[in-house]
Amino acid sequence: MAHTHHDHAHKADNYFLPAAAWTSGRNAFAFVALAGWLGVAAGFIADRKEFFPAYLVAFLFFLSISIGATFFVMVQHLTGSAWSVTVRRLMESLMRALPIFVLLLIPIAFGIHDLYHWSHVEAANDPILKQKLSYLNEKWFLIRNFGVLLVLSVFATRLWAHTRRQDENGSLKHTFAAEKWSAPGVIVLFLGGSVLAFDLIMSLDPHWFSTMFGVIFLTGGALALIATLIVSALSLRKSGYLTHTINEEHYHDLGKWLFALTVFWAYTSFSQYMLIWYGNLPEEIMWFEHRLEGSWLVISALLVVGHFLVPFFSLMPRAMKRNHGVLGFFAGWLLFMHFMDLYWQVMPVFHPHGFAFSWINLAALAAVGGSMGLVFWSGFREKPLIPVGDPRLKQAMAFHNV
Amino acid sequence: MATLDRIIDRLPLPAFLKHEDAGKHYGVIGDFDTPEDLLRAIRTARAAGYSKLEAYTPFPIHGIDEALGEGRSPLGKIVIVCGLAGLTLAILLQWWTGAIDYPLVVAGKPLFAFEPSVPIMFELSVLLAAFGAVLGMLALNKLPQYYHPAFNYSKWAGATNDRFLLAIEAKDPRFSAEEAITFLNAAGSRHSELVEA
Repeated sequence: MAHTHHDHAHKADNYFLPAAAWTSGRNAFAFVALAGWLGVAAGFIADRKEFFPAYLVAFLFFLSISIGATFFVMVQHLTGSAWSVTVRRLMESLMRALPIFVLLLIPIAFGIHDLYHWSHVEAANDPILKQKLSYLNEKWFLIRNFGVLLVLSVFATRLWAHTRRQDENGSLKHTFAAEKWSAPGVIVLFLGGSVLAFDLIMSLDPHWFSTMFGVIFLTGGALALIATLIVSALSLRKSGYLTHTINEEHYHDLGKWLFALTVFWAYTSFSQYMLIWYGNLPEEIMWFEHRLEGSWLVISALLVVGHFLVPFFSLMPRAMKRNHGVLGFFAGWLLFMHFMDLYWQVMPVFHPHGFAFSWINLAALAAVGGSMGLVFWSGFREKPLIPVGDPRLKQAMAFHNV
Repeated sequence: MATLDRIIDRLPLPAFLKHEDAGKHYGVIGDFDTPEDLLRAIRTARAAGYSKLEAYTPFPIHGIDEALGEGRSPLGKIVIVCGLAGLTLAILLQWWTGAIDYPLVVAGKPLFAFEPSVPIMFELSVLLAAFGAVLGMLALNKLPQYYHPAFNYSKWAGATNDRFLLAIEAKDPRFSAEEAITFLNAAGSRHSELVEA
């Protein structure tokens, strides 16, 4: 029997959180969520006009991570990927948080009037908006967005149920079932994700349109998911968990994904910008005009440099992707950049002359993030941090980058 | 020719009449049953002080580069230099043709701007980087190469099927044919022989 030096790693590793560690993690997430929701309530009372956009950005930020996780889990099943099995449970736990976004959408449903000016009566007198009102109206907006989130939640819940049952029985039938859910899942996810991006972000400026918009949102989500995986795996590693199971080779591959998605984000975002710049049509170019005005120009430049140029050249060498410090830094940095990207998409509608950060932004991030964190963390109570029943787990741990 | 040389080498003739390569050797090659046997033999050989080793296998084996002590390929550096050259070339091309050599205002756009130049910058970077990658790979591997002394090994065909060969090359400072054969046999080789250059 072939014996490699990886064979013993599985047994030696720590992939169960002890009850005390789990409880303190749960308490931390609960505290952040509680403080966040109190802040959100205070923000709603103090400044309604500021509250809804801030909440929308925080909602989109964490929703995109959860959708990115669902997408990646499906892709791993469809490609029969072995290397990613050791990090798949972390992805699946982020995917599992998707159903709570159905509830988290409720505040936005109450804010339609404050957020979307197509919902105002004047829209009926606007020659362009008048023609869009059969799509952009409150009833269909709610049906579409709640509908998409509910359908995606069904996929996320089914995939989670199969991987959990496989922990117990190790049966291959769960792998096959997950593949069957993933094939239609990817199609539904791309269509649904585009609907969410069009409705929740693009319709903030309802005269404007871009067919690239859904792809940019999903790409940002996929990038944020990989960044979240790196940050959470490295944090667990620091506390002494998954130190052997997720090894240098897996971090290297996550680094490749981080690099590739940074490139793809730039590719899609630039494609949108270049075509609009070239066409120079009034109803299209205005969207960018707003984002080059006042201090928004600084954020636009920050995105070009910080979301693309710096991570692109920094993550290119192999040694950088295999260095935990560098990789962890850029994962955290790109999460911040992804937030800034969404902030830059949403906020100029409400602050046309320049950005103005508010404490409500932080409160909303804490509220949505803490709630998602609680669901993410709840899956690890007395349960493993890796899919222990997956038949490809051993292969994943012996994986080597050539 | 190799056969003729070999016959001449064996004849009792004065040394100056023999083929100039006579007496020159590529090294000693041994063959092993499994990739694990080969990896173990490589590690033992390096521990014994051999440094000029080469492995011939029917498929890529994980960890064999590390075992042989191979460094990282310089190909990545060749590719980045070519890519940046393509980027520079594209900027110069767009700027010189558009703004200097034949300035013509099209659709009210500036004579030179980065927005419409980025696709050309991207394409030329990728093109030259790809040329660098393919041609650099061929050059580093010394390809095309129609002859290699390892072909003289009597069981060479096994390296393309189910055998895992390890060569201790004659240029190794510790090389001695008898010792190398004894060493490879002890390491588990089924058939070790001295191979002509």
